[in-house]
Amino acid sequence: MNELASTAGARFDPALREKIENLINDYAHALDDEEIDRWPQFFTESAVYHVTTRENHEAGLPIGMIRCVGRGMMLDRVKAFHTANIFEPHVYNHILGRPSLSMEPSTSVCTARCNFQVVRIMQDGRSDLYATGKYLDTIVFEKGSLKFQERIVVFDSRHVDILMVVPI
Amino acid sequence: MSLAETQLAAAAPLSTPFRWPEEGAARAPYRLFSDQEIYALEQSRIFRGPVWSFLCLEVEIPNPGDYRTTTVGETPVVVTRDRDGVIHAMVNRCAHKGALVCLKKKDNVASLTCVYHAWNYELDGKLKGVAFRNGVRGHGGMPKDFDVADHRLQPLKVEIFCGMVFGTFADEIDTVEAYLGPDMSEFIKRNLGRPLRVLGTHSQIIHNNWKLYAENLRDSYHATLLHTFYTTFKVNRLDMDGGIILSDRKWHHISYARRAKMDEAAEYSQSNVHSASYDSALEGPGLLEAWEEFDDGITHSIQTIFPNLCVQFTLNSLAIRFFAPRGVDKTELFWIYLGYERDTEEQSQMRVMQSNLTGAAGLVSLEDGCINEFVQRGTRSSPHSASFMEMGGREVQSERNSRATETAVRGFWHGYRDIMGF
Repeated sequence: MNELASTAGARFDPALREKIENLINDYAHALDDEEIDRWPQFFTESAVYHVTTRENHEAGLPIGMIRCVGRGMMLDRVKAFHTANIFEPHVYNHILGRPSLSMEPSTSVCTARCNFQVVRIMQDGRSDLYATGKYLDTIVFEKGSLKFQERIVVFDSRHVDILMVVPI
Repeated sequence: MSLAETQLAAAAPLSTPFRWPEEGAARAPYRLFSDQEIYALEQSRIFRGPVWSFLCLEVEIPNPGDYRTTTVGETPVVVTRDRDGVIHAMVNRCAHKGALVCLKKKDNVASLTCVYHAWNYELDGKLKGVAFRNGVRGHGGMPKDFDVADHRLQPLKVEIFCGMVFGTFADEIDTVEAYLGPDMSEFIKRNLGRPLRVLGTHSQIIHNNWKLYAENLRDSYHATLLHTFYTTFKVNRLDMDGGIILSDRKWHHISYARRAKMDEAAEYSQSNVHSASYDSALEGPGLLEAWEEFDDGITHSIQTIFPNLCVQFTLNSLAIRFFAPRGVDKTELFWIYLGYERDTEEQSQMRVMQSNLTGAAGLVSLEDGCINEFVQRGTRSSPHSASFMEMGGREVQSERNSRATETAVRGFWHGYRDIMGF
């Protein structure tokens, strides 16, 4: 029995909870610390990263703002960020809520839901609430470490202010 | 708009008179982007004037009782489908005190009721009934001569073209097809002339005057200079066969590119333009998986319809861009991604993946979210200076051999001057 399967039960295993919370936190801190190169490494090779609006999500519509299928597409986004895309420099500050966790015992796959708020700080000092929403995650072990198999980022609002070049 | 309103709007003086530079459409005074009075004048002369405005897609209100709210300029509008399936559009403003009647983006209702005093309207905007019309226990109530027929939601004239619902405040205006002209309507039929399916939507708040985005869409000069993702991957280059078609009144346009061999043009290797150094292949090549959808060889097109509509067809990514003014220096840009009902699952998937190229986080074009704001910020303190737009000459005409031109931007200003009386 692997580590995930052993946690089946009413109460989510605290040790596993800590690992998952660390994954979710490390992800946010990597982006806040402008370590965008680390971003694809939080995902499995075949993972899906999808940023959409609540309106699309609830209507079951497939197109939001970003859809990466596979880590390769995430690497392309990172390279585009460094070499192709032009934008006014800015950084994020992610504020995360405590995730709700559950696990499917038969597959050992964990799901997490975590609320976020992202403040965007422009180089001139302007700080704005850029986005609020929730992460809907599917998390698996890959070679001994936890990775996102799927991360759906659901914006509460239909708006994106100015543009989005750094992932949420 | 009534005749009296039209005359009032036409007579409305600008506190500082406006004069267009002698060079004509090759110049646009920066005042146009920041002047509140000009912005207000545009609301009456353009958005409540003789234009057809995009309201919504027919497919967004498929059932009797469906409504969809939107704006024409800054005027709130509701589009409904009545019990006979007929589509109507009205100003979303109660005939009583002026409150918004429909509050949601979309809903399905039996009739329209203002929440303030419960004035109740038919789906076509006719007033059905008024609460306490006969008073309460013999007291109060409307005067004896009150007639529901004298009060209704202000209607817009509506026409449907290729699944798009257009509305106008103008009493006398040609059909949508005539407004578009033959070249524009043929191309819309090519792109939207079959049952559509909405694949997703979002919007982008851009901090600039709406006309800067209208220019930006028509500016084929910047395409490969600012947006280097395509250049890097050799997808859309000026050296591809392409051109610009302007409508008769110059204010609509089509910019198109045809598939071409990927030879390096000398201008690119010699000039010191911003260019991305990038691997020659995508790590995730699924992004650009595409199929040949039409036999005319056109792989990329951007089509604008004055004042604030655009239809994009880049590879297989079909989208409507609708940009709504939200103040003199703020615009909401809506992205409505589409496919056809007939699409196979595989085709839908390709459209979904290619949606990564555009939109608020578009790999190819996300720069447009900030570039117009840079112009807004650069120009707002210099109302008396003007932009210089002579790439491709000073003429305002179609250019079927090159997209290294600003002719469509000049076309926008040509049409704008005409309708604004500048």
